[in-house]
Amino acid sequence: MAVAPGAEARAGRFPGPSLIPKLIAIQREHGWLPREELVALSRDMRRPLYEIEGLISFYPHFRTDPPPRVELHVCHDLSCWLQGTEERIAAIRARYGDDAEIELREVSCLGRCDLAPALAVDERPGRMADLDALLAGTPAETEARRPEEPWPNDPYAEGDERYRVLRRALAGDLQRDAVIAVLNDAELRGMGGAGFPTGKKWELVAQQQATPKYAICNADESEPGTFKDRQILAEQPHLVLEGLLLGMWVTGAEEGWIFIRHEYGPEEAVLRSELDGLRAVGLVGPGRELEIFTSPGGYILGEESALIECMEGHRGEPRNKPPFPGVYGLWGRPTLMNSVETLADVPVILDRGADWWKAQGVNGATGLKFFAVSGHVERPGVYCVPMGTTARELLERAGGMAGGAELQAFQPGGASSNFLGPEDLDVALDFKPVAERGSMLGSGALVAVAEGTDLLAAATNVLRFFRNESCGKCVPCRVGSHKAHAMLTEAIGADSGVQPIEEELTQLEATLRMTSICGLGQVALGPVASVLGLQRGGTAARPQPRSQP
Amino acid sequence: VAISLEAPTETRTVNLTIDGVEVEVTEGTTIWTAAKAAGIEIPVLCHDERYDPVGVCRVCAVDVGGRVYAAACVRPCEDGMEVKTATDDLERHRATLTALLLADQPPPERDPKETTTADNELLVLARRYNVKRENGLPVGQGRGVDYSNPVIAVDHDACILCDRCVRACDDIQGNDVIGRSGKGYTTRIAFDLNDPMGDSSCVTCGECVAACPTGALTNKPIRDVPIRPRSQLRQVDSVCPYCGVGCALTYHVDDERHAISFAEGRPQPGSKSRLCVKGRYGWDYAASPQRLAVPLIRREESYPKGPLSGDVRGEGRGRRKPGGLVDYDEVLPHFREATWEEALDLVASRLKGIHAEHGSGAIAGFGSAKCSNEEAYLFQKLIRAGFGTNNVDHCTRLCHASSVAALFEGVGSGAVSTTYGDIINADVAILAGTNTTANHPVASSFFKQARRRGTTLIVVDPRRERIADHADIYCQIKPGTDVAFYNGVLHEIIARDLVDHEFVATRATNYEALVELLQQYPPERAAQICGVDADTIREVARLWGEAGAAVVYWGMGISQHTTGTDNARCLIALCTITGNVGKQGTGLHPLRGQNNVQGASDAGLIPMFYPDYQKVDSSTVWTRFEEAWGRELDHERGLTVTEIIGSVLHGGVRGMYMMGENPFLSDPNINKVRKALAALDFLVVQDIFLTETAEFADVVLPATSYLEKEGTYTNTDRRVQIGRKVLEAPGQAREDWRVVCEIANRIGLPMDYESPREVFDEMVGLMQNYAGLNYDNLGPMGKLYPNPDPEGSDGTVVLFGESFGTEDGKAHLVPAEWMPARELPNDDYPFVLNTGRLLEHWHTGSMTRRSFALDAIQPEAHVFLNPGDAADMGIAEGDFARITSRRGSIELRAKLSHRDTPGTCFIPFHFREAAANVLTIDEIDPFGKIPEFKFCSVRVERAGPPEPGGNGAEPR
Repeated sequence: MAVAPGAEARAGRFPGPSLIPKLIAIQREHGWLPREELVALSRDMRRPLYEIEGLISFYPHFRTDPPPRVELHVCHDLSCWLQGTEERIAAIRARYGDDAEIELREVSCLGRCDLAPALAVDERPGRMADLDALLAGTPAETEARRPEEPWPNDPYAEGDERYRVLRRALAGDLQRDAVIAVLNDAELRGMGGAGFPTGKKWELVAQQQATPKYAICNADESEPGTFKDRQILAEQPHLVLEGLLLGMWVTGAEEGWIFIRHEYGPEEAVLRSELDGLRAVGLVGPGRELEIFTSPGGYILGEESALIECMEGHRGEPRNKPPFPGVYGLWGRPTLMNSVETLADVPVILDRGADWWKAQGVNGATGLKFFAVSGHVERPGVYCVPMGTTARELLERAGGMAGGAELQAFQPGGASSNFLGPEDLDVALDFKPVAERGSMLGSGALVAVAEGTDLLAAATNVLRFFRNESCGKCVPCRVGSHKAHAMLTEAIGADSGVQPIEEELTQLEATLRMTSICGLGQVALGPVASVLGLQRGGTAARPQPRSQP
Repeated sequence: VAISLEAPTETRTVNLTIDGVEVEVTEGTTIWTAAKAAGIEIPVLCHDERYDPVGVCRVCAVDVGGRVYAAACVRPCEDGMEVKTATDDLERHRATLTALLLADQPPPERDPKETTTADNELLVLARRYNVKRENGLPVGQGRGVDYSNPVIAVDHDACILCDRCVRACDDIQGNDVIGRSGKGYTTRIAFDLNDPMGDSSCVTCGECVAACPTGALTNKPIRDVPIRPRSQLRQVDSVCPYCGVGCALTYHVDDERHAISFAEGRPQPGSKSRLCVKGRYGWDYAASPQRLAVPLIRREESYPKGPLSGDVRGEGRGRRKPGGLVDYDEVLPHFREATWEEALDLVASRLKGIHAEHGSGAIAGFGSAKCSNEEAYLFQKLIRAGFGTNNVDHCTRLCHASSVAALFEGVGSGAVSTTYGDIINADVAILAGTNTTANHPVASSFFKQARRRGTTLIVVDPRRERIADHADIYCQIKPGTDVAFYNGVLHEIIARDLVDHEFVATRATNYEALVELLQQYPPERAAQICGVDADTIREVARLWGEAGAAVVYWGMGISQHTTGTDNARCLIALCTITGNVGKQGTGLHPLRGQNNVQGASDAGLIPMFYPDYQKVDSSTVWTRFEEAWGRELDHERGLTVTEIIGSVLHGGVRGMYMMGENPFLSDPNINKVRKALAALDFLVVQDIFLTETAEFADVVLPATSYLEKEGTYTNTDRRVQIGRKVLEAPGQAREDWRVVCEIANRIGLPMDYESPREVFDEMVGLMQNYAGLNYDNLGPMGKLYPNPDPEGSDGTVVLFGESFGTEDGKAHLVPAEWMPARELPNDDYPFVLNTGRLLEHWHTGSMTRRSFALDAIQPEAHVFLNPGDAADMGIAEGDFARITSRRGSIELRAKLSHRDTPGTCFIPFHFREAAANVLTIDEIDPFGKIPEFKFCSVRVERAGPPEPGGNGAEPR
């Protein structure tokens, strides 16, 4: 296989089919991974033991000891932390801590920030209030708040035949070039965080000569405060799949995948049933295969190259780039990867045209945008608003601050976005204006923090998330996030303020931002630095992001 | 060029500036490499040119004008790029990264690297950036150490997760043991399933130690000789004394302690700085207190001769003798010390006496493939010119004699037609009957690497050896059915017309006879015999026949059969009819076992040839040698190793000189060998230790070890290299070549040489293939022979490009009919016994079992049994099993192994306390005279549970 320039050494990535499905099968059979099974797997598959160790120690889904009767996972990340998860965890610990049959684990964001503090019993999600019911085996009501009106990005009215655009494409009524042109005209950008122009991405993959090609829907949003894709998957699976199938058609990919985080079990079930329907009517089948890949766990897999590594059966460690997945993706082949929301926007754009889409935006922005709103707000949930809506307006849509509290700060784009202050509330929520304010639109998750909250502790909570979710591949992120967190924890514990460590933290933030391999490390210390900036009296003190190449 | 990846085929160039310097490089070149070429050094930790880049330490981050910095080691150059490598900001980040790593390191005064070789690359950066360990960052909590490997220390604190060891283990050695375990800050390097290194599948090649930039993986001192900075030690560039791969290495010598501190691989075109556990850690045998240092003469009261130790007399169970070497306390009192004069005079007079009384045929000599070319040459000259007999042989008889017989007949040369490294140019390679990861570990690393670069690897072996795990196709033939398998493949090649007809027409003879015989071997019939299904046989034939270049490497699984010559004939036919000889990536390569088995044979240490394979029974040849040596010579072929033992029992051979051979353990049916040795009128044994054979000696002469003398050694590739003196010999021990000269002078054959160099020159004068070589032009890397331009060229890689070495220049095809092994299993002896070696041990163990590392890793003999068979017999891992053949019985621990098929078992032959050759059959191949070590029938029974508290009982 030809290797693209810049492709790094395999360094522990063993060639051959992925062992992850086999490990999942062993765990399904035994409830855990007994050593002798692993040794036999290594022998039968002629794959090194270290490869198996690398996987089972990396992915939280795998366990090497027999499971307890109940696995109780409680989220401790920002949105839940703001709702007092620490006290709740302490209470649960006091109540069940001695129960050997219940294994309580604090986990990273479950993507249920609207239920905060959220938990999951044997992977069945719910609120704290649902704990007893869940322990008793009763499923909880987990659906997020639904809007009164239909989602504005859905071109299909109640009773319409769906997949209209796809059918037109398959019937030859659409031209690939024209589709790319419409997407370019609509100025649709990636909604997963990076904001790369979608039309350009599709065009790049379509132009690649190498085959086969792949298309992947990245449904692995896992950043604290982020759960908009969950809502889209639950309510608009037809748009996601249609967008993905259109992407495959345009780029020539014969194999498509939806990579979904394993915490989204209920949503995955919806998706599967939609997929079954597509198979039944022949929209998915030979030559146009679509499968679901359930993540074995970890926020890092939302990074596109880490996601590909995982699908190939490796540790989910991001690759050095270039080469980018569009050129050198899954199995080294051109791979189109878009997020759930991006794909879900495609059908309406192609159905109603670029102009319609552009007209949806306000304040100079184009299109629509889904936001997950959580934290200290009255009605946490998912909102689809015109791109360019101000943070203040969005906050109002969510009922304003809970209990009428004053806003102290907010993250406009998920845990990786820098905190902004109340003076920034009128920023138009669009890529450029938010970036100009020193933050980013990110994963479309607004987390509001009320006055009276220890903002440094909140930022340290965010840092802990990144530290815990760091894959450990590169030095700055692996060691830097750990050291910075340790320093902050000590400073908070000693109530000594950040003054003595501010210089080190600032240098660490810069080093992580400039030298880490992937976005996780690059942003890990950003929120902390932004809080330091806020405490110095404004965002201007924060380092400005360098312009895109 | 990337190690694990294909070489880029494009040659477009790109132009960019690095720190303002305009550079033009091939597309795909990394910034780091381009900068280096432009004289700009960018600091690195994870990167090393030996490995493909990973870009994880980020120390080499450079500014290419992007949103973030790029890792120079992995980022390719692009047209128009303006790279800055050393801005203040970059240097600040490098200092920060260094500080981050340093915070978790052990303090320098306790750092395992800084306190030994003192070349910790992180500390170099720390000094450069003036970063201290107490730098304001919280210090790490300690990640633990792992001292479970006898010679490698693991300190996880010192690990910076640069992944160099991972790449070294995978991409260089192909051992696939080390990976990352855990995630994020808790990530550590791990062995297998995060097992202690010493319990893992690690083969202790030490490549990871050579790769590690910090103190995470370091060598432990051996025999308490401290490891010190290289500048405080003396470097001796030499060659590994173990197998035929002949890896180049450097010994770092502590002159204060007169001892080796540590060894490292050295670049050489073949071995490319790689070593295995024996080469890197197995050199301390020379420092054993059991070294012979004074000549010994058997005491009067210890006659009549017979075995001196209870072990050899066959009393008691092996398990009572852990350690298993000759018990000096038991044997040594039967000898008295003598002066060299007395001992040499006695040897000369006794051998002369026997010669005078019984004639030339009563004398025989066994030389050694462990001695140098010069010593082999002088030894055979002594026997031939001094005693007028060709009864001179060595252990080549026991390894590749049949291969050599077939090769001489088929292609007119016993040497390999291409190198082990040439596999990289092959589309398809067959590895036949070779446990190459154990017996030629470094060669196997090239095989594994080639496979990862696209060579299709086909492994044919009844035992599923480690290399089979790397095969694209593994053919598990039944023992002793090689001819049937290859005939099936050949049949299919002909049936599919994948034959290179032009090659056959112009460069081979006897093709028609081959075709005729092969008609009887359609794949279905072959499958019936060999147990590999017909479709697989067809697939092998298709792959081989369609390959642009195909090569075969084989080992003792081919040669050590009564059909060994036929087995090799099949391989010759396979290469010949498809035109796979004489060009890059093709050919025939019997992997040589001993470090100098090629050279000893080249130098004439075989009964049918003078040096350079000149036939002893050819008048032109004997005339030439009679002129050169000034003596009348024997014009008949001499007896081989196995024939000499037989001859002794019939009163033929009566006096023997053994230089460095220990036939008591290495020869088949050793009960018979024991009788023969006891029956000799006179036996002189020259060795570095008291061997099992020495128990039967009249005189024992103390020799120098490999490390204490100079000489040339010829490896499996035909590479002639100089082994240099590293240490002084103990006591009165003398170099083998000097001892040979002393005896020669005493029997009236003058030998007056100043040095091995002089011997080499005389020898080369008689050897066309070595023409032009001398000690000066061999240089540090050695040279391949033949070499028309030794001053300018490394030598000839591929032989037979134009014609073969046969008299008519053509390859002679010899059809081979399949014949079953001599001793098939029956109800009384239902198992097939296979014998061979372990990675850690060498032949009769006299060196390796005295090496701390090798003995610590493999202290004990085992019989390897299929787990199903073992369960049927009620034998558990570590239990004692009794193995009985028609010739004898041994008891040893059982090891359950999926590598052995039901109905077979495997015993390594290194261990005297459970000597496999008690069991083996002394039936020989009619052409090569090689014994059938790979096949005899045995009975397996449970002999008892593991001893309580016994060592080695725990499954590893």
